Amino acid sequence: MLADSFTKWLWDRRRSIATWTVAVAAVGGFYAAFWPTIDSPDMRDAIENYPSGLLEALNYTDIATPSGYLSATVYGLVVAALVIVYSVSAGARLVAGDEEAGTLDLVLAHPLSRSRLALQRYAALVVSLVTISSGLLVVIVALVKPFDLTGISFGDLLAMHVHLVLFGMVFGAMAYAAGAATGRRAPAVGGGALLAVFGFAANGILPQVDGLEWIDRLSPFAWLNGGAPLQNGLQIVDLSIMVVLVVVLVATGTVAFERRDVSV
Amino acid sequence: MPEAAIRTEALVKDYGTARGLDGLDLEVLTGEVFGFLGPNGAGKTTAIRLFVDLIRPTSGEATVLGLDPRSDGVELRRRLGYLPGDFVVDGRQSGRELLTYLANLRGRVAATRIDDLAERLGLDTTREVKTLSRGNRQKIGVIQAFMHEPELLVLDEPTSGLDPFLQAEFVAMAREVAAEGRTVFMSSHVMSEVQRCADRVGVIRAGRLVTVESIHELGQRSARHVEVLFAAPVPAEDFAGVSGLRDVAVAGSRLTCRLDGPADELLKAIAAHPVITITAEEPDLTDVFFESFDIGRDDAG
Ligand SMILES: Nc1ncnc2c1ncn2[C@@H]1O[C@H](COP(=O)(O)OP(=O)(O)OP(=O)(O)O)[C@@H](O)[C@H]1O
Ligand SMILES: [Mg+2]
Repeated sequence: MLADSFTKWLWDRRRSIATWTVAVAAVGGFYAAFWPTIDSPDMRDAIENYPSGLLEALNYTDIATPSGYLSATVYGLVVAALVIVYSVSAGARLVAGDEEAGTLDLVLAHPLSRSRLALQRYAALVVSLVTISSGLLVVIVALVKPFDLTGISFGDLLAMHVHLVLFGMVFGAMAYAAGAATGRRAPAVGGGALLAVFGFAANGILPQVDGLEWIDRLSPFAWLNGGAPLQNGLQIVDLSIMVVLVVVLVATGTVAFERRDVSV
Repeated sequence: MPEAAIRTEALVKDYGTARGLDGLDLEVLTGEVFGFLGPNGAGKTTAIRLFVDLIRPTSGEATVLGLDPRSDGVELRRRLGYLPGDFVVDGRQSGRELLTYLANLRGRVAATRIDDLAERLGLDTTREVKTLSRGNRQKIGVIQAFMHEPELLVLDEPTSGLDPFLQAEFVAMAREVAAEGRTVFMSSHVMSEVQRCADRVGVIRAGRLVTVESIHELGQRSARHVEVLFAAPVPAEDFAGVSGLRDVAVAGSRLTCRLDGPADELLKAIAAHPVITITAEEPDLTDVFFESFDIGRDDAG
């Protein structure tokens, strides 16, 4: 059970991971269950009368189909926000939180290298993200029939969840890297929050400025949802960007962690 | 002479804002208990954390168990036990859970070892750490440092928070380690604690080693307080000529004095009268130590 720092991390956070799984599934399911209300003639008229700029900013352009609705509200917004909060706070805790609490010293005095410890913990974070995402997947699949979420293939739904997990991994890696390099939680959480704010702005607002349309490509929200995996399946370019970013961030943070002093 | 368990040469640790070590030259022999004594901020913790590769030296060299902590950290840490000066762990786990995890990180720890040590120190390992008193938490720290029977124990103020009974138990454990040819390096603020346990003591001040002394030799050099209660009043003159005796005071049938040197002559003088009780205290080496080296007592509490 407690064979290494990978299982220990998951075991220590079993309650938190369970809570997050339930919360994300509940909130995501709640929003998904609103589809029949949206799917009414009145609502469609209302949306058609919205200014197109606003719809674009909210990614609501395709909101009149079940997949468009889920994509824009559940995956692109609410669940994305929850996953960011979870990934950043957990990522910041992987090294920096432990170090600030003064509990890292003892573990690092054991025969395992710092990189090994840190990478095992990041791997555990990935597993926790898969767990949280799976909980939501189960709930969405269960809601398809009772709430008329028609026209979504299971394959595309899986693809959406692959994007979601990687999206969380990016934010987790950002917080991990800043925390591992500095040993402090504030820069770790700050780094993650900054990426979230930039990502949100670059995805909805900034591209409406003339000459800044391209900035959307730099947003994690675009990598999550820009290619609409819920309608079009896996988006290889977006996934690759996220994978590369994760690798770069994790590697940079780990190298910096290996080199510096551990504070008491 | 046995090979050194720890050797440092001109070890410097600069924190930027403060200097932790300022050219430490130290040699700790294999199989000894070495007491590392010094005032607050002297650099004890800095040295210890350098040995475990938690921090990196600015310059100079440290060799621990023949290895370089920087390049052979994993191998080195396999062979040593470490007790941080500030032993904090996540409170939401039982002592057993934590100790099992740490044992698993090490690989081979005999299953009964944790239970034996817990029983010896009187620790209930089923309780959540956060519900334990400070001393009981410290016991977990001591157990995890000792449980895998490492070649070298590096302990930062190991007895802080332990009651006198447990301090004595700790001394016994440290002596057993040395008796098996293994090495103990422990830091402390107080001489009286180190003297019961250590073979040698080194004093560090402002990041430099001031002196290293053998406890045995210090003991021989220091005066013991002796008190004798006789069956009847005794004349003070009987003890006036005894060599090595100072501060002689006779009040009726009670003699108090300080003995510096061999006890033979005093014993024979005492034996001339019927004796009821005799007490000879272990010398407190603090005095002799700081007198002989003019280090200043304020420095070491
Ligand atoms: N992380 C750090 N950053 C800056 N200065 C530090 C740091 N750690 C220690 N120091 C400084 O280095 C010096 C030595 O500190 P160290 O903790 O090694 O002393 P110590 O002998 O263990 O003291 P104590 O008996 O209080 O535990 C002190 O002046 C301290 O202020
Ligand atoms: Mg200290």
